[in-house]
Amino acid sequence: MFERTLSDLIRGLRASSKKDEPKFISLAINEIRSEVRSKDMELKAAAILKLTYLDMLGYDMSWASFHVVEVMSSSKIHLKAVGYLAAVQSFKADTDVIMLTTNTLKKDIASPHPADITIALDGLSHIVTPDLGRDLSHDLIAMLNHSRPRIRKRAILMMYKVLMKYPEVLPHSFNRLREKLDDPDSGVVSATVNVLCELARRDPQYYLPLAPQLFDILTKSSNNWMLIKVIKLLGALAPFEPRLVKKLQKPVTDLISTTPAVSLLYECVHTCIIGGMLEGPGGNSLAKTCIDKLAAFLRDPDQNLKYISLLAMAKIVPSHPHLVAAHQDEIISSIEDQDISIRMRALDLVSSMVTDYNLQSIVQRLLAYLVPSQESTTSALPSAAQSLARTAAAVTSDMSLATPVTRADASPTPSTLTSAYRLEVCRRIITMCSRDAYENVTDFEWYLSVLVDLAYVSNVGSIGRDINDKLLDVVVRVRGVRTFAVGLMLRLLNDEILLENCRDPTSCSEVLWAAAWICGEYCSELASPQELAPLLLQPNVMLLPDETITIYLQSALKIFGHWAAEVSKHWDEGLLPEIKDQVDKMISNLDRFTTSPHIEVQERVSFFLASPAHLHSETLSRTAQASNIFQLLTFMRVDLSKHQEKLAPSSISNLESPNSSLPSLSKTSWAEPSFPKSLYLIRPLHVGELNAIAPQPQANVRVPEGLDLGIRILKTAGLLLAHEEGIENASPTANRRRKGKGKAEDESAKEKSKGTKKKKRDHLMAEAYIENPGDAAAREKRRAERIALMRDDPYYLVDDPPHRSAPQDDVDSIPIIRLDDLPSGVRTRAFGPTPVLSRSSYTSLRSRSSTPVVVDRGGEVSADIHTPTSATPPVSLKSPTTQPSSSSASGFIPSTKPLSRGFPPYELDDDDGGKNGLGVSAPEPIQVTRVKKKVWA
Amino acid sequence: MIHAVLIFNTTGTSRLTKFYLPPSSLTPAQKAALPAQIFHLVSARPSSLCCFLDAPSLSTTWEPDTRIVYRCYATLFFVFVVDSSESELGILDLIQVFVESLDRAFENVCELDLVFHFDQVHHILAEIIQGGLVLETNVDEIASAVSESRKARKESYSAANPLSLAGSTGGMGQRGANSISTPLGWLAGKVSGLTSG
Repeated sequence: MFERTLSDLIRGLRASSKKDEPKFISLAINEIRSEVRSKDMELKAAAILKLTYLDMLGYDMSWASFHVVEVMSSSKIHLKAVGYLAAVQSFKADTDVIMLTTNTLKKDIASPHPADITIALDGLSHIVTPDLGRDLSHDLIAMLNHSRPRIRKRAILMMYKVLMKYPEVLPHSFNRLREKLDDPDSGVVSATVNVLCELARRDPQYYLPLAPQLFDILTKSSNNWMLIKVIKLLGALAPFEPRLVKKLQKPVTDLISTTPAVSLLYECVHTCIIGGMLEGPGGNSLAKTCIDKLAAFLRDPDQNLKYISLLAMAKIVPSHPHLVAAHQDEIISSIEDQDISIRMRALDLVSSMVTDYNLQSIVQRLLAYLVPSQESTTSALPSAAQSLARTAAAVTSDMSLATPVTRADASPTPSTLTSAYRLEVCRRIITMCSRDAYENVTDFEWYLSVLVDLAYVSNVGSIGRDINDKLLDVVVRVRGVRTFAVGLMLRLLNDEILLENCRDPTSCSEVLWAAAWICGEYCSELASPQELAPLLLQPNVMLLPDETITIYLQSALKIFGHWAAEVSKHWDEGLLPEIKDQVDKMISNLDRFTTSPHIEVQERVSFFLASPAHLHSETLSRTAQASNIFQLLTFMRVDLSKHQEKLAPSSISNLESPNSSLPSLSKTSWAEPSFPKSLYLIRPLHVGELNAIAPQPQANVRVPEGLDLGIRILKTAGLLLAHEEGIENASPTANRRRKGKGKAEDESAKEKSKGTKKKKRDHLMAEAYIENPGDAAAREKRRAERIALMRDDPYYLVDDPPHRSAPQDDVDSIPIIRLDDLPSGVRTRAFGPTPVLSRSSYTSLRSRSSTPVVVDRGGEVSADIHTPTSATPPVSLKSPTTQPSSSSASGFIPSTKPLSRGFPPYELDDDDGGKNGLGVSAPEPIQVTRVKKKVWA
Repeated sequence: MIHAVLIFNTTGTSRLTKFYLPPSSLTPAQKAALPAQIFHLVSARPSSLCCFLDAPSLSTTWEPDTRIVYRCYATLFFVFVVDSSESELGILDLIQVFVESLDRAFENVCELDLVFHFDQVHHILAEIIQGGLVLETNVDEIASAVSESRKARKESYSAANPLSLAGSTGGMGQRGANSISTPLGWLAGKVSGLTSG
């Protein structure tokens, strides 16, 4: 019998065509299946090796795990090596046969042959599990003192893996590891530094005692590999020890100026930045040196240096923005680099260096970059899809940017401008501008046009929703920009190409949603609303997604209602035909929507107010469903005709003959106003103003009495947390407070599920619960008991490694510092009700502002909601203009408004009072509580 | 630490895959497709670009501080996936060290060496990186460790197969070993190469 060897298998694979490959492989695997069962170890090992090769190509080999273990346990090193290789490549953490390897590993580690030990250590480093770590830790610690440096190195690196899986070993092994820093073999020292560097990433403060030894290595060693790691490690420790920062400054500065190795130089610069060495005294000159070096990298022809330079600059920006700003031009031009990696870094950096001065120029630059242009030449070849996308972009972008369009012979798209990257750029632009409640935006009209431009040039459909959200957010929050916004949106709505391409996945037709909504909501800004309403109901609208159509319908009705009401204000009988005409147009336009396949659209058409019953089905018999929007308009039509009828005998005789088909109405008398009353019929849809909603009203809703979110559903979990519970219940104050505040209840429930004791204690502290020293001791004891209990419980994951030998910080001993700089909303949330700010402080706040832009950064709190903090005035950061005090209307939310969709999450909590917070005292507690209670009971 | 080392050729065929810390979010199937995914991104980059791959499409696979460092040698891409505790430029040098070590072991290494001795490549890599941490960076030291362990395997192999001239089961054969076919080896049925081709 002649078995296939690995070489045969590989050769066969290379010879077989793509089509035959599956057949060939299944044949080979069948052979392997019989071979691994052979008694001949050589044959078995050869089969396993073949299998390992196939595993690399993506074929499963988990079925052979047991045979792998068999081969591993062979006493012959050449077979053992095959076994270990297969194990390393194929075993996962949940492979059950791993536990069978314990003895083999133990034996191999204790082997007199260094080759065995080497293989075993390397293999173990991959497959180590907590159990293996526990069982082998003693052998491994002993191994740290092995006579051969090669083995010592491996054992040290092995310790890291074991510590990751079985942290309990750390106390036993830490001193040994520390000794290894002074090992005579430099490779061993290097490995030790390596391991410590990894360990120190998690909790650096525990490794501070090693600083002197590390410092010694830093000053004496000349091995760049090791120096890089030492520098990294010291950089991680530096933030925890100010003296170390001071001490490091000199050697690091020396290294920066002397080392020829770029990687070490870079690492030094990087460490200076992340180690906080640029802050203290003398930091500035060091920062200057660092930036100079980085700028040199930035100009270097080596792209790698450019890349890491951008990477490091992004880290230095927060502390030294002015130094980085000096190189702004080079950085921004990197955004146009042909290399996506560099572009991504540059984007990162640019978005962190944005200020209100450079925001506009940076955004313009990014936008221009998104616009497909002929100048963008790259050597890469575009795919067909990209060319298509490009053409589509060319079509859409003509509209807003009015760039000359001769793109039939378009040059290749930068192949790297993938949609993922475009999306990234768009997102960055949006987040850049909206950061910190639009802090950097000085001109909101500009921002709105940027958003609209984005919709045109982004060429990524998925950004549409984001643009939408921001459009709504800005228009709702910034009063002053509404007139401009409506004009801008009107242009969008008039854009037929956008409408026609709305099915294209790369078009941002979703902005039409926002456009329609804004025009509908702020239709008082429209110059000629009567023209827009029919536009919103034109046939092409049917192409849009149904949720956009629904908004179109509503907006059309709102606009029409507004217009009708406006007309009535300066009523002139001569307007009657025009109105009639409009109503007829509306009705005929709406007709097509009743047959829309989208149920939501149908619903909306028939959603609006119910109209008098006597009109029912007389004129609308063709649409079987109750189409109430029709009824409404039909009612108007009838009323208008009636009005006309009344006038007909007197002055206006040239009008068409009165419609006499509706006798039921003719008896009614419409005497008083000179205009048809029905003009006001739709107007009420539009009452009240929609405002941004503050983030915390939900938190202010009280939890009904009797509802205890702390009650555990699962009994077993109670065992572990029982003691925690005891602490809370021990204090009646804490208990009462918890019941008093819904938010507190909420949070504590959440925390309980996570089992984070620390947070909870913080929380209790915030609730002014003071613990006496006796309690603390008892609690500490209970805690220790509980941790012991948890450790023995195999089903409980202990997430904080118990190896932290340093004493736990006593959280309660940390003094509470009142952070006065925090926005009022934050403060009140953390520490309960704050005193009412006096009028004078409010006015002083207002008087320092300079620009006329009002940004409603906080949003409003509904008047219905009990808010303990409502007395705080709204923070209108730059507003000398008066705040609207429409508190009565603000609580009223017309049901037709699309509240459920489109509002972005408000992450700001500058302010919680909102509109009604001005001088109004805390409103009544919400009545919802009772209802809720019933539901929950 | 180093999360993964991948080698594939310029047509995207894997020549070595080693995950020291497999991305936990991936299913085995996704993990198997990862080299192809990275290949797709890397191969589209002209050689003039930098050796770091920042791909928006891979951002969900690894943590944000993870970086893909790669280098292209002739027909092979060497790709290292590392996190922020490794120096970016240092890893570039490490790839160079790896390739030099391969070169020493195979004498003018070429893709075929990696194809037919994939286990060897693993053994060499094991002398440079263990469990995701750098073990040794000195090429001489690596070369001597490689030859030492190769010698041990070879001796063990010849002891177990006294009839064969050169080994192949453990993959420790020198280049050309598997084309040798002697009557004795043929009898032993252990010699690779032409016998069953």
